[in-house]
Amino acid sequence: MDRRQFLQSAAAASALGALPPVFAAGAVKVAVMIPQSGPGGLFGPSCKACAELAADTINARGGLLGQKIELLFADAGLAPAEAAQAALKLWKGSGAAAVIGMHDSAVRGALVNLFKGQVPYFYTPVYEGGECAKGTYINGETPQQQLQPVIPWIAAEHKPKKWYMIGNDYIWGRNTNAAAKGYIEKTGAQVVGDEYLPFTVDNFDASLARIRDSGADAVLVSLVGGASVGFNKAFASFGLAEKALRLGTLIEENTLAGIGLANAKNLYSSAGYFANITTPAATAFAGAYAKRFGPQAPALNGLAESTYEGFLMLEAVAKKAGALSVVKMDAACEGAAYSGPRGAVTMKSRHVEQDVYVADVGDKGFRIVKAFSRVSSGQTCQAAA
Amino acid sequence: MTMDGGTLLHSLNLVYELATLALTTLGLAVVFGLLGVMNMAHGEFVMIGAYSVVAVQQWGLPTIAAFPLAIAVCAALGWVVERWLIRPLYRRPFDTLLATWALAMLMRKVVEAIWGKGFRNVDNALTVAVPIGDTSYPAYRLGLIALAIVLLAALSFWYRRSSAGLRVRAMTGNPILAQALGIDTQRLASRTFVVGVVFAGAAGVMLAPLIRVEPGIGVDYLLDGFFVLVVGGLGTLGGFAGGVGVIGGSQALVSSIAGQTSGYAVVLIISILFLWLKPDGIFSRR
Repeated sequence: MDRRQFLQSAAAASALGALPPVFAAGAVKVAVMIPQSGPGGLFGPSCKACAELAADTINARGGLLGQKIELLFADAGLAPAEAAQAALKLWKGSGAAAVIGMHDSAVRGALVNLFKGQVPYFYTPVYEGGECAKGTYINGETPQQQLQPVIPWIAAEHKPKKWYMIGNDYIWGRNTNAAAKGYIEKTGAQVVGDEYLPFTVDNFDASLARIRDSGADAVLVSLVGGASVGFNKAFASFGLAEKALRLGTLIEENTLAGIGLANAKNLYSSAGYFANITTPAATAFAGAYAKRFGPQAPALNGLAESTYEGFLMLEAVAKKAGALSVVKMDAACEGAAYSGPRGAVTMKSRHVEQDVYVADVGDKGFRIVKAFSRVSSGQTCQAAA
Repeated sequence: MTMDGGTLLHSLNLVYELATLALTTLGLAVVFGLLGVMNMAHGEFVMIGAYSVVAVQQWGLPTIAAFPLAIAVCAALGWVVERWLIRPLYRRPFDTLLATWALAMLMRKVVEAIWGKGFRNVDNALTVAVPIGDTSYPAYRLGLIALAIVLLAALSFWYRRSSAGLRVRAMTGNPILAQALGIDTQRLASRTFVVGVVFAGAAGVMLAPLIRVEPGIGVDYLLDGFFVLVVGGLGTLGGFAGGVGVIGGSQALVSSIAGQTSGYAVVLIISILFLWLKPDGIFSRR
């Protein structure tokens, strides 16, 4: 073996081993931060699948600014500092030119601090609002988006007089309920209770007794994941489902599976996406997903699908800016638009105007009962602009 | 004077909390109290019980079949674990702690591999809330309370009156002397461990329709069990009942008056005070 041959094979071997794969010229690396461990870990597989489908879709129509997308995944289910380390490795170590994030707000805070507007960052899940950092583009539904049209609609349909609000004791639960209070009072109804529970709570009896005593005929459930499951099961077991309707803005397909269809009578969920939206775009997306990942595919849900939306927004903003630079993208992002599984999505104030769906629960899961088109995020981001 | 609906509801909630706490903690108390083994995988046996219900419903079997399934799985697993993991580590409490913690992780991962990380719901035939006085209460919960009372009464009767109970007490009182008297302490210890984890599994079956079901739920039951043992001390049924009463009672009471955060804080404070001032539990004379 001569020296040149040896060097070539050594380089090839090391590339195959420890280093990330060497791509053909013209590839662009996109970091995808999704929960692969921790409480959010159950969304990891479906998020990863949606990211892969998005990359395939964009690559099939010519790639991102003509470059093939290569995905790099890291775990965002870790503590914020550790997730930031993982993101740093993908950004500085592996050369990711853009970041898609589907994770909690604590990790978002750490990533915004890390990136400091030096790499475009697309944050995709439902969140509490208020993020206006440079180079951060938000696709997720805000409380205003999920509630502003929905509460008046519920008021018209069911005429509840007394609302009880319950949430987990952190920024999303509190901001959601704070936004809801205004919309509820505008309908002429009254807020008769407002309660925040730590994440450790798994017995909701005391809260259910208070809800019953308050005479509430509607309950806003801003509990998350396991807490939402436990609360809604107990709520139904006490026979409260017949007495009061429930509305939640983070009751997605997995949470509903835990609650059980029998326990979800008079339960409404409001979100930008449900797996069984029947618009042509959503059906096509679900079909492509099923075709790509087969019958064992991780079930689709709003959080996972938001990852796909993040890629579509990255494509739209990049196209409008003509480059993957935060300065150019910040300048060009206003009005960037695409049409995806959720419908028409337009960027305004680095948040999005998007359709919002309301679903109730039938014997096969969610049923879309109402759709609102082009709902504003309610975010202005003027101070940072 | 008749009880008004609110008081009745709170009383029933209190009884329910005590019953579920007793059910989920009993197995841990048996294993820790009698064998001195801190089984960190205790909650995972509760979780296996809950997934037994998921399994039998998936197979289209009647829900009641979850009991024999959970008992068989937990007993087999318990026997293997005692024989090859716990027995070599008796009298090495810290090593047992680590070993059973690893076992807990393994059990979670196996369940994750079979059913995934997502939430599962089990169907429940008894969904009605039955009217009692001025309020109404879920029928399933009432059944659970009755079952817990019967189970605890039977266990305490067995422990005090049967010859097996006597041998267990002899073994825990003085293992060497018990062995000299011809009691096969090794076999007895194995059976005690199996009984402890089978109780946990059975509790999981009973609770499955009421709780969230996912692979990580075990930790909840381990923590509550810890607090009960801290307060109640080890190895006596009276202490166990005292621990359940103090922990469950104060949590339910404070939660309904001052909110859930305060309820949880009070449990932590009580546990810390007991560890500090009465490390051998409520009935110790030290």
